[in-house]
Amino acid sequence: MTIPSFTGLNTALEGLQASQAAIDTTGENIANANTPGYTRQVVNTAASDPIVIQGRNPQGGGTQLGTGVDITSISRIRDQFLDVQYRAQNTVASNANTMATQLQQVQTALNEPSSDGLQAQLSSFWSAWTSLAQSPTSAAAQQAVVDAGQTLASTFQSVSAQMTTVQTQAAQQYATLTGTNGQVEQDANQIATLNTQIAQATQAGQTPNTLLDQRDQLVDDLSGLAQVSVTPHSDGTVDVNFGDAATPLVKGSTVTWPQTLTSKAGGQLGALLNLSDTSSSGTIQQYLNSLNGVAKQVIDSVNGLQPPSSPFFGGTDASSITVTASPSSITTSSSSTSGPDLAQSIANLSGQGADQSYAAFVAQVGGSVQAAQNTQTTQQAILTAVSNQRQSVSGVSLDQEMTNLIQYQQAYQASARVMNAISTTFSDLMNVTL
Amino acid sequence: MIGRITTLMTTESVLANINSVQDQLANTEQVLSTGKSINQPSDNPYGASLAVQLQQDLSGLSSYSSNVTDGTAWTSSASSALTTIQSIVQRAQELVVEAANGTQSPADLAASGDEINQLIDSVKQAANTQYNGQYIFAGTATGTAPYATGASDTYLGNSGAVTREIGPNSSVQVNADLSSLLGNGQAANDGGLLDTLRSVAADLSSGTSASVADLSSKQLANLQGNLNTLEGLQASVGAAQNRLTLAGTRIQSLQQNDTAVLSNTEDANMAQAMTTFTNEQAAFTAALRAGANIVQSSLMDFLK
Repeated sequence: MTIPSFTGLNTALEGLQASQAAIDTTGENIANANTPGYTRQVVNTAASDPIVIQGRNPQGGGTQLGTGVDITSISRIRDQFLDVQYRAQNTVASNANTMATQLQQVQTALNEPSSDGLQAQLSSFWSAWTSLAQSPTSAAAQQAVVDAGQTLASTFQSVSAQMTTVQTQAAQQYATLTGTNGQVEQDANQIATLNTQIAQATQAGQTPNTLLDQRDQLVDDLSGLAQVSVTPHSDGTVDVNFGDAATPLVKGSTVTWPQTLTSKAGGQLGALLNLSDTSSSGTIQQYLNSLNGVAKQVIDSVNGLQPPSSPFFGGTDASSITVTASPSSITTSSSSTSGPDLAQSIANLSGQGADQSYAAFVAQVGGSVQAAQNTQTTQQAILTAVSNQRQSVSGVSLDQEMTNLIQYQQAYQASARVMNAISTTFSDLMNVTL
Repeated sequence: MIGRITTLMTTESVLANINSVQDQLANTEQVLSTGKSINQPSDNPYGASLAVQLQQDLSGLSSYSSNVTDGTAWTSSASSALTTIQSIVQRAQELVVEAANGTQSPADLAASGDEINQLIDSVKQAANTQYNGQYIFAGTATGTAPYATGASDTYLGNSGAVTREIGPNSSVQVNADLSSLLGNGQAANDGGLLDTLRSVAADLSSGTSASVADLSSKQLANLQGNLNTLEGLQASVGAAQNRLTLAGTRIQSLQQNDTAVLSNTEDANMAQAMTTFTNEQAAFTAALRAGANIVQSSLMDFLK
């Protein structure tokens, strides 16, 4: 029976190297414990091919003796299915988040219920007409009606302007994100570059863990902006479909951007497109249309009770409403003997059409903001759950790494001890033969 | 299977929980500090809309209430003017009765005639009573004095009704048609109070036995007729006053009711909010304490 003399030393060396690689990988994991997008790595090892030791009997076959350990790969622990789930949820949550945040601004502009919102101004306006009906010839009462009308008109205008501002800001934000060197383009370019690098590394038989992490992180990033779907290829590259764009955003190393998206794209961009939409399907535009409806009701109902030649209000909607009447041009009576019947009729509009529409409008805004906030809370909770699932698979647990560290450290010490033992046997042998 | 719990998961969930409790705490704090459970429409869309409607109702009620106050002032002014006129008519009756006895000298009769002329001025003065800068007996021509001082007794106002809205589709006439009592003077010969008083003054100043006979045969009856018309006017003004008082009471109770509902809708239940606040504060402290302990401890604490 012959065993090559240094087999044991080599086995111990491989043990030392495997332990060292494991300790290094543990170190890498610990170092990146808080790095966003980092996937924990493990060293995959396999026992190396054994050598056959022949016995004395040539016919007796041989015995296989292990020769140590091979490091087969260092791989990422990642579940692609959870990635898909996370990105889908991230798209929905980011959409809900954007909607809720922006609509909250609209609601703040409304300032209801309060003693100085639009409702309070409407009430003051009707009250001023009541006072005028009581003293139709009083210059003070006439002036009060004009003043209350002007305050009402400017409140309509400022609420309308604040809503339009939110609309415009959404459009600007969309333009910034999707424009030249915007987030979409930058992410897409980086993914294309990484695709090229990963393809090269894969071709060389390597596993480019860091590059894969970076690319996954970029796709996660894009999934917040709009829905994404990823098609992997055998060469390690991925195609990324983005939102409802016609052509894939990234195909190998090619980036196709800018492309047209609609509010169906989902994510932050879909929400921004919905909010900035000035057609009747845009959420803020629907609010503006309702507000314009209230303003038009006020204008038409008051002007309908004034002579056509001298209307009280000018304009047609919330943004253009103005007071065109002067205190002396207000007509309070329909005839010389009727008393202030017109003023009284206008005062009687309190609680009628425009007031009712406004109350409904407040409920409309409140309802949809509440729905958006509820969706935001729910989707955020689901996102956290999915993110935790993904973390549970891919994240770094310091306790686990510490345990591994001790395990690998002890394995290293043991391998070193084996080496020491073999060294001692050699020196024993040498001393005997001297 | 119990999944792996990573360090990042722990810190993130501790943070998320602390944030969520803190968010609730901030909401409750807003409820406590504003005293309102609805601070923006999304807190309770139906409640916010109801609050807006109740505010509209309250604003409408306060308009009605202001109309009642204004109407009451009109009817009170009218009522006191009518009382003044009543005492004037009664004084005129006394003078006519004395003169009709036929025992007074022409000089006494002439003096009585002078007094009647004074009384005519007083009647016109009462008819020109103003409230808040408006003539209350001029119909809807509230900017015009109904009777000019001096010889002309023509009524200058109109017969329009001044009304005040005291509820939806419900209004009260707050003026009285005094011209039905006063008439247009002697020229019109309409038997109105001014016509009667002018005739009485003419009879007294002429002092003839025929005119004294006219006083007793005709003018006394005329005055009595005028007095009856006056009482009719007083009754209608009194009825308007009653309606206004009743409307005032009704509006007040509606206001109280609406205010109570509004308060129930948008005001915070302080006891409840305070209890919630205390609970959430305890939860917040617990979350902080637990989080601090969980985040701090790791296997490394026990490796020596």
